[in-house]
This record gives sequence, structure tokens and C-alpha cells, in this order.
Amino acid sequence: MTTALRDMIANPTTAELELVARYGMQPEDSRRERLFEAFSKTGLPHRRLEAWKWTDFRAALQGLDRPSTPPAQDPIPHAGALVFRFTPNGYFPPDHIPDGLNVFEKNEAQALGAAEDVPLGALAASLSGGKAGPATLLLEVTSKELPRLHFQFSGEGEANFARVVVVVRPDMALTVSESHLGGAGLTSSVIEFGLQKGSTVNRTIYQRGTPEETIASTVLVHLDADSHYTQTSLAFGAKVARLETRVTHQEPSAKATLNAAYLVGKDLHADFTTHVRHGANSCVTRQLTKGAVLNGGTGVFQGKFFVPRTAGQYTDADMQHKALLLEDGAVVFAKPELEIYADDVECAHGNTSGALDDDQLFYMRQRGLPEKTARALLTQAFVAEAFAEAGALEEVLRAEAEAWLAAA
Amino acid sequence: MRTMLKIENLTATVGEEDAAKTIINGLSLEVPKGEVHAIMGPNGAGKSTLSYVLTGRDGYEVTGGSAKLNGEDILDMDPEERAAKGLFLSFQYPVEIPGVPVMTFVRAAMNSQRKARGEDEISAPDFIKKSREIGKALKLDTEMLKRSLNVGFSGGEKKRLEIYQMMMLEPSFLILDETDSGLDIDALKTVADGVNAMRSPDRGMLVITHYQRLLDHIQPDKVHVLSKGRIVATGGPELAHRLEKEGYEGILGEVA
Repeated sequence: MTTALRDMIANPTTAELELVARYGMQPEDSRRERLFEAFSKTGLPHRRLEAWKWTDFRAALQGLDRPSTPPAQDPIPHAGALVFRFTPNGYFPPDHIPDGLNVFEKNEAQALGAAEDVPLGALAASLSGGKAGPATLLLEVTSKELPRLHFQFSGEGEANFARVVVVVRPDMALTVSESHLGGAGLTSSVIEFGLQKGSTVNRTIYQRGTPEETIASTVLVHLDADSHYTQTSLAFGAKVARLETRVTHQEPSAKATLNAAYLVGKDLHADFTTHVRHGANSCVTRQLTKGAVLNGGTGVFQGKFFVPRTAGQYTDADMQHKALLLEDGAVVFAKPELEIYADDVECAHGNTSGALDDDQLFYMRQRGLPEKTARALLTQAFVAEAFAEAGALEEVLRAEAEAWLAAA
Repeated sequence: MRTMLKIENLTATVGEEDAAKTIINGLSLEVPKGEVHAIMGPNGAGKSTLSYVLTGRDGYEVTGGSAKLNGEDILDMDPEERAAKGLFLSFQYPVEIPGVPVMTFVRAAMNSQRKARGEDEISAPDFIKKSREIGKALKLDTEMLKRSLNVGFSGGEKKRLEIYQMMMLEPSFLILDETDSGLDIDALKTVADGVNAMRSPDRGMLVITHYQRLLDHIQPDKVHVLSKGRIVATGGPELAHRLEKEGYEGILGEVA
């Protein structure tokens, strides 16, 4: 058995051998096996894979080590929310589950499908569970009035894996927030959202790690007719951090709004990767990503809209990525892609990166603002545009961005 | 006569080392407290450059001479230090600052200046009261002042916002750079009324303009003619009228 497992990944690294060993300790389950096999095809994703050329988990993760620093503080309020905590050593659900939310803790791997398309998603799905909690936490939303759900991925250890599936029943509504705070050498979570006809989800993601942590969040979103999915992310990065969102418009007239901001300092890396498939008529996608990077930091944006020939007619999609290089030595990689086969669509994209505007800076300093304050105010305004759809959490994200800029 | 702004034999260049071009070339000028001086000159005379050199914009290098405000050499100061000393430039083309509301910006500017001078910050109620009064005088309602600075404002509104900032910040020395450009006659009057309201025995002004029109509304004590980076003629308000009649060539031909 051990030999067979060892052979699953070609030329495994120390970290990959440890992942194989963890898989070996999981109960037998054909779905789990299929997921781990999917991960094994690539192993930890690395720079020679096109989709990972700027985000090399294999190089970043020598072994599964416990970082010397504790996880970041969670700025997202827990009060009034239904908090689900996922740690390397256990899963902690809320004390009370209200009507309108059904919680199923599954011990076998479950899927809406497609987790195996993303190596780190497949990894999270195959290694979640065991003593740390359910293999799959399945949540069914049958209300419009639920308190905000909050998923916290945090806690000290070598590795932290979690898998959540959220099904939102027709015409229902959900507000959900997530904090990816590190604390483990590798934290990888996979969440699937199924939005049924006419339902809405507003999701806010906060990510913060250190140069000793690697963090991956993989999210798969399936949109039925007239559903509306809104996502706002704020990432500060980690040694490598990837927030990957894959959206499928699978029925007509669905809408997705994907906003994000990354603020990346020295020795940190933050990657936003999105893939949106307009697989049905008259679907709408609005995507705005803003970034600001300091010397020694790396920001990555990869966005793709895919519009097939017949199914994707009347698609209306816009993708914007704008990055500020705040200092010499800041690095931003961007790859916006539109792959369109349908002929009656409106698809636009824009991609810019550069420094702050000298005219704006001089104007502000002429009025008496010190250069540092002027830079912070301009950057804050630039980034905050991405938080406009975050509802009650907009102010939390703004305050976090402001604090980072004040310290930068 | 108490001199407020004193410029002596100033020379300044624009551009990178090898391509640096001398734009200000031995300029001397004194503006006493309480006076309004106009600087007129043809295109390319160095009018805007002078305003940028005095306020410390990057890309302009002072290669000789001095400029003092109330006896203090300002040329080594950062732009924000000069602002805290009371120097204010009304821009020919006010810059758009998306995402920063007018009032937020002005309050931050005011408190930065106060901090630099060792004064207390203005309280929120005092600030709002002052803003409301000044906004009313300039026909800028509070909703406009909550919008992003200069974004989506017309040319006239932008100039009124410059005057609003000037009245809020109460600088001791004003430089108005082509404040009349892009204004219709009503907007020009509103702006000029604002500037005239700022005239005081403790304040000096330098009004830079291409045309005499603005000086019908803001009466200068003295008019200077700038050509090729130097003051080539100085006179009373009548000099502006002569310029309007005879053109720059007439006057410049005479002095040359």
C-alpha cells in the first residue's frame, strides 16, 4: 500500500510525501480516492503549469511545517453571526443552528462536481475530515432571513483542510463571510456554492498570512436562472496565497459580481484567479480587481471569461484589473483573458498597472497633506472602490486597508 | 511697506539634466502684505512655471536666486511645508481625485496644516459650520461637497472648488494661476467675488493671467509683465489696459 501511495506523485517533495501519508490515514472512500488521484496528477502545483506559473506552491512548501507565528487576528465580527471554525485540530460549529439552515456533517467526500479540476481544491476535498471534523460540511439554506454565516480557517498546526458545500434553495438569500488567517504551513479549503433559481449570495473574503504560511481558497460557484452571486475579497497574501474562484452560469439571466483587492507587502504574495463560464444565455458578470504592492511583494491577477458559441449568447461581461506599484521592487503579474465564441455578446476588459499619479500627489501636498498621507489617501480611495458591494462589512474592509496603508 | 513675498534674481529649469531648459531667468519681484499683484505675459513666458517653482513641484530645479515668504526661504521646503506656511496655489487645471470627497480632503488638509504649525485640529462641528457658510457664498451645496474632489465637476465648478478650499484654509499668500480660464462671465464673477472677499491687509496675492479680463474683477495694485522668464515692465492697473490695447508685442518691443 505504502509503495503504491508513494508512486502516486512523480518525484515527490517532502511536503508531497507528507500529504500522501495523510491520505493513507483517511478512511477508504471511492470519491476521496478519485479526488486525491486528481491532485496526484500535478502534485503541489508549480511554475511549469501554465495556470500556476506565478504561484508556485511546490517551491514555497518544502515540508508541512508549523509556522513560528500565530494566525492573524480575525477582523470580521463574530457577534451576531453563525460562526463555523475550521482548525488543524478540530471543527467548531455554532452552538445553535436556527430554522432555515440545515447542517449535514458528512463523513464521506461529497461534491457538486468540479473540485477535481483545481489541484488544491481536490487536495482539500480529499484530506478534509478525520479527527478535524466532517469530510464535507453540507449546508442547506431555506430562508432569506438567516444571520450572516462566518467560516474561519485558522489555527496552529502543520496543515488545515476543509470542505464546505452550500446549497441555497430557490429564491432564498444568504450573507456569508470567510477569514483565511493562516496559522498552518498549508491551509487549503474548498467551498462550493449552488445558487438555485432566483437566490442570492453575498460573500466577503478576508485573507491574511505570513511569509511562513501558504494559503489556498478554492471556490466553485454554480448559478441557476436569475440567481445573483456577489463576492468581495481583501487579500494581504502569504508566502504564497491563492484565492481561486470558478463560476459557472449554468442557466439564463444569472449575475455574478466579483470584486477584489490585494494589498501586498514585502516577502508576501497574493494571487486572485477567476474563471467564469457563461454557459447560458443573457448572463451578466462584473469583475473589478484592485491591487497595491510594496517593494518585495508580488500580486497576481488571472481572469478568464469563457463564452461558448450557442449557450453564451447575450452575455454581458466586464473585467477590470488595476494595480498600483507603490514602490520600486513591487511586482504585479496579470493575465486577463476573454475566450468568446458566441457572436452577440458584450464583453470588455481593462488592465493597468503603474505608480500613483504625480499630478494628484502634488495637488494634495500643495494643500498641506504630507506626502505619506497623500499617498495613503490616494491608495485607500483607489482600493476602496472594490469594497462597494460588501454591505455591512464594507467598513471593516476599508478600515483594514487603511490600517495597512498607514503602516506601509 | 512690509514685504511678504520677495523673489530675487530667481533662475529655474525644467526637465532632465541634459535637456534642462531655463524657463525662469533672473526674475525679481516683491509683493507687500495687503497688496494684489498681477503677472501678465504671453504664452511660454514662464507664468505657470513660476507658480510651480514657488510651490515646490517636482521636475523644476532652482539654479539660482532666492524666494522668501515673510523672510523665510521657501525654496528648500517640501510643498506641504510651504502650504503650512500659508502659501496656496489655485490651479489652472484642478486635478481630479477619485474616491476622496471634497470635505474629507479639505479637512485632512486643514488638520495637516494645523498640525505642522503646532495648532489643535478643527472639531467636526466647527468644520461643518464653516464649510456650510463658505459653500453657500460660492453656491456649492453640501451634496456637491460630499462628492469626489473635482470628479465630474464642470470647469466653473472646479474653479469655485478652488476658491472654496482657499476660503476654508485661509492661506496668507495666494497664487491664482489662470483662474479665469474656462469660465463664463457669471462663473468669473462668482470666483472674483470669492477672491475679493479674501483681500485683507494681512494677505498678499499674485494673480497670474493671460488676459486683462480677470483684472476688471480683481483690481490689482501692481501689474508686472513677464517675458522670457523675467519681469520686463511694472506699472499700475493702467498697464494691463495698455497690454490689452497694444498687445504684448507693443509693450515688449518698447522695453526691448
